[in-house]
Amino acid sequence: MEIAAPLARHFALTLRLNFRSGQALAYGYLVPIIFLLGFGSVFQSDTPPLAHEMGQLLTITLLGGACFGLPTALVAERERGIWQRYRLLPVGIGSLLVSVLAVRVLLLVSAAGLQLVLAHLLYHTPWPEHPGQLTAAMTMVMIAFLGLGLLVAAIATDVPSVQALGQCLFLPMILIGGVGVPLAVLPVWAQRVAAFLPGRYAVAALQTALDDPRGLGAAAFSLLALGVIGLSAGTVGWKLFQRTTAGASSALTRTGRTAAMVPWIAIGIAATLTGHWRAPQPPAQWELITAAQIDALKFDDLPDDSGIVTPLAPPSSLDPEFAQRLRTWARSRLNEPAQGVRDLLTVAAIADLGQDAREGQIARAVFEELQADFDGPRLRAILAWIALNPNAGQAIIDVSGLGIRRHPPDWAIRERDGLYARKFLGRLLSRIRD
Amino acid sequence: MVVTPSGGLCVRDLTKRYGAVTAVSGVGFDVRPGEVFGLLGPNGAGKTTILECILGLRRPDGGSIAIDGLDVLAHPASARTRVGAQLQSATLQDKITPREVLELFGSFYPHPASANELLTTFGLAAKANAPFQSLSGGQRQRLFLALALVNRPTVTVLDEPTAGLDPESRRDFHRLITGLRDAERCVMLSTHDLDEAERLCDRVAILAGGRIVLIASPSELVTRSGRSAKVYLETSCTLDAAKLQAMAGVNAMERRGPGWELDTTDAAGTVAALARAVDEANGRLVELAIRRPTLKDVYLSLTGSAWPAAENPKADESAAGRTAGSVP
Repeated sequence: MEIAAPLARHFALTLRLNFRSGQALAYGYLVPIIFLLGFGSVFQSDTPPLAHEMGQLLTITLLGGACFGLPTALVAERERGIWQRYRLLPVGIGSLLVSVLAVRVLLLVSAAGLQLVLAHLLYHTPWPEHPGQLTAAMTMVMIAFLGLGLLVAAIATDVPSVQALGQCLFLPMILIGGVGVPLAVLPVWAQRVAAFLPGRYAVAALQTALDDPRGLGAAAFSLLALGVIGLSAGTVGWKLFQRTTAGASSALTRTGRTAAMVPWIAIGIAATLTGHWRAPQPPAQWELITAAQIDALKFDDLPDDSGIVTPLAPPSSLDPEFAQRLRTWARSRLNEPAQGVRDLLTVAAIADLGQDAREGQIARAVFEELQADFDGPRLRAILAWIALNPNAGQAIIDVSGLGIRRHPPDWAIRERDGLYARKFLGRLLSRIRD
Repeated sequence: MVVTPSGGLCVRDLTKRYGAVTAVSGVGFDVRPGEVFGLLGPNGAGKTTILECILGLRRPDGGSIAIDGLDVLAHPASARTRVGAQLQSATLQDKITPREVLELFGSFYPHPASANELLTTFGLAAKANAPFQSLSGGQRQRLFLALALVNRPTVTVLDEPTAGLDPESRRDFHRLITGLRDAERCVMLSTHDLDEAERLCDRVAILAGGRIVLIASPSELVTRSGRSAKVYLETSCTLDAAKLQAMAGVNAMERRGPGWELDTTDAAGTVAALARAVDEANGRLVELAIRRPTLKDVYLSLTGSAWPAAENPKADESAAGRTAGSVP
């Protein structure tokens, strides 16, 4: 028998019924908007406004619709015997459950879309830079939360118990799970607890997709966690809910409990062991440098390599002894890449400003060391960032250990750092002949 | 493969266990087209389990069920297209309309009844687009019956269809079920209401402890039970007790307040004799009440236990009101 048409009718009717319910509209759309206005009133003056909170807001929206809205609707219908009536139909009950889940996905996507639009209109929050990645992240978040929602629907015996179970999930995630309050401002114990809650992974995945130039790959662990939690909870919930429509007790079997909880706990333990329990660090400023910014840099106004300012000896004149000392000196300065690069540039800058007899060779040694210590894309981005932001970071360092005993002023060092950064970058980009 | 003698429902040796408890044991019966078949029994007797097995909601541990010769257990999906059901506990979403629900459920079947036709037949045309929550109890039950017929089923199963309805809605509903019989449908009715069963069913099966005690027409059951009628008499004159005892059909008699209660196997003959006796004594009848044996009495005689009154007080009141007539 052809079931596509009746399922489409069921889908459309379920959607219509949702929009006829004031309660569903309030929980699905109004509450997320209230959260948006609340966050907006606090963060609208940020630059850009609300951009760093959209991950949290979208998570709240998806969490409410999936972990409250879905199980409330399913359990209310089950209590009324509607699912028992569905069981009399000549189609598998799973296909009707798919239809209900499809409706819920549409509701969640529309609520999230509405939030993005309102944030843009009310607070000028920028549009997501990578809509494709945001779609992928939202898909994983919905898998996780709909899986949990299905499990809640299967466990709950009535609508009030859905509310109780939903709150047990919702409140911890909001308060100490990095959803309502940013993880970075929570105490360490709360961050460790949050590793066992899916909310933080949802926020991390969505926020990364929204504004992290590193792309969604930076949230790989979060995506994995969401997938594991969602699929384990969803599989158990899927089977158990169908059993409860046949009048079975909704109590979880031991196998079901294990199947739902063990992967969840395993994710928390894995996060603890691998350090993923910590609040995700925002990308460093140099990581935000774009290819367009690098392309826009000019190299034709740089001083001559054989001149007084920022001299640079040819590759053939490298002083091996100094190069070896520089290597040893540089190795202890690589924990923070951008500062490490700046420190090396400063060695060349101080030698230049102090008119060291080996200034050109020192600069050459610095360039060689930079290429040895950093991969090409990273080095290019850091050099561009220093060229564009000569006043960022620490500039004065003691390089007496390298035999350069000069202490020029900060502003001068920064200026030379910027010039050397451009000279080296131009060579890396083959826009300056070495 | 089960062979059904003719069209309709054929249940053979049906057994269902829940763990160590046997809910239904060796139950068998046929329901023919144009027949209303009643399942009678108190809670726990196995009625719901039998219905759920027929509807494919539970898989029996033994026995067979066939609809128009189709093995329900072997072909559950096909069988579902031939069964319609009104479930006792099931209701609908508050905001759904009768038209929407009939169209939705009809769309899952290959040859559904027209939603408009059902709405008209069941007196719901004016409420076709009204939300379910605005329907009265009677309208809801009519909608559920329409829903049970949306797939043009061979067998229609009605589980406590009039529970909670007011008397007028109940009468309306009885008319609809009679109409189904006239349309040659197989109707299977489960009820606590013995009055309803007597009124509607062509045959009833008495269930006790998961077994069928007896299957017969309601009148046949009463006759076979051998139970006698009770005649209560109160007169303005004094009647000779010996004369009363000697009246046709009277088995026993006993003083009840100001009158007598006679136990008789011939209620009509006893009443006629009483009328003559009062006339001869120049007296008049102050009160005359006849209580014929009911299915409750039959149930008592067949199972040895009384029909549990607490399960359906309304039915009890209704039965009492009908049987206890009084003559001024």
